[in-house]
Amino acid sequence: MEAQEAQERALLERKVRKAFQVLVLQRGRNPGVKGWEMKRYLGRDYRKIVEVLSEEVSGFGLEVFEVKAPDGSEDASRFLLRFRESPTVTEAETSGIRIDDLAVLAATIAFVNSKQGRVARREVEQFLREKFPKWRVEYSLDRYVKRGYLEQDERTMLHVGWRTRAEVDEKTLMTLILARTQEAAKK
Amino acid sequence: MGEDKKLEDLLRVIELCRSVETSSANPFDVDIMEKILLLKSKLPQWRFLDELLVDSEALLELTQIVKLQDEWLKHRASSLYIDPLLIQLKIKLLSREALIDAFVKSWHPVAQLDQLSPRGLERAFVYWRDLAPMNERFRNEFGGYGAKPGVVDYQELVSLGVFTKDQFEKSLADLHAELLSKSDGQWIDYAEFVGAKEFETRVRRAYLLAFLISEGRASLKTEPLTGRIWTIGLSEKAGGPSKSVAISVPEAS
Repeated sequence: MEAQEAQERALLERKVRKAFQVLVLQRGRNPGVKGWEMKRYLGRDYRKIVEVLSEEVSGFGLEVFEVKAPDGSEDASRFLLRFRESPTVTEAETSGIRIDDLAVLAATIAFVNSKQGRVARREVEQFLREKFPKWRVEYSLDRYVKRGYLEQDERTMLHVGWRTRAEVDEKTLMTLILARTQEAAKK
Repeated sequence: MGEDKKLEDLLRVIELCRSVETSSANPFDVDIMEKILLLKSKLPQWRFLDELLVDSEALLELTQIVKLQDEWLKHRASSLYIDPLLIQLKIKLLSREALIDAFVKSWHPVAQLDQLSPRGLERAFVYWRDLAPMNERFRNEFGGYGAKPGVVDYQELVSLGVFTKDQFEKSLADLHAELLSKSDGQWIDYAEFVGAKEFETRVRRAYLLAFLISEGRASLKTEPLTGRIWTIGLSEKAGGPSKSVAISVPEAS
């Protein structure tokens, strides 16, 4: 009985290690592993393995996050490792994104969400130019489309990209933007 | 009845749908039922393939609008919906720093290890192999001639009309007097002294202060651990060896 339990525990540990290796190494162009790939590497019960791994890596300030597929299918969901807590502004500066460009991204995500999740790029540019220099707006939008934070369709409509859904807690962002202004207004 | 006249209603439906699809207009502004009934009433009139194609195109555009209506409802039902005018106003009122802070507090960056795959290596090789030299790449955009980046000295600024000699001397004397009065024999923070609301003013003050330091009428020291820079005004010209220090003037104050 004990031998069987030890065997099961060893198998679980092996699968958790495998899950970590699969998630931490970038395979394709974008980070993360699709649900069907996880199933192939870890078996049908991969969600349980992911849960255990998420607990294990919490000590390092990480978590396994699932980005749901637009069609809701499990196979197309994307799993990735991300920071459990938000970084500080100083830490964010080391991410390779210019800190001023983050303000453009924050304003764009909030603006797109306020327009039912889709808005013409020219409309976004027009809005952002009231706050940021023209060159920075165009450069930043191109860059964020390329990095997956925003999506641009063939009709040049902008949507929130998969990377924003993976990395940004949009509800918190919207709440903070609203709360911040209220604080400023009170002052 | 002319061909175009017959199809006018259908073309108008297509145009309306496309304008809604390419803007953030409310998709519910399109009355789907009314348009479907219109297509239905016109359908018996169509005899030719071209007419039927326009009809099917109109129907396709209407289905796109129904899809948008579905997305619109889902989004509106989510807690992410906020009145667009309200959010625009709030974003306009917020400082860049506050926007950055809000973003960073809601951000959970992805953790991953980048690795070089054989495919990536091959792509990099092909990229570098096919990359034209810089002078060829930028010739079309900037032309074949141009000055390299260099240093603009005081004489050049005077010749360009940025300063007149009198203005420059007066600005220099004013800044020296200000530095002497603010420092009063003590080291003061360089950034605070140079700091001004407008970027242009900060650059101008930094340039003038650099001139004073070069002349020995002010001095500069840096703290290696904190990176803080201190300056002091000198009533008498300092002697001794000089050292060149590069200090950037941030765009944001």
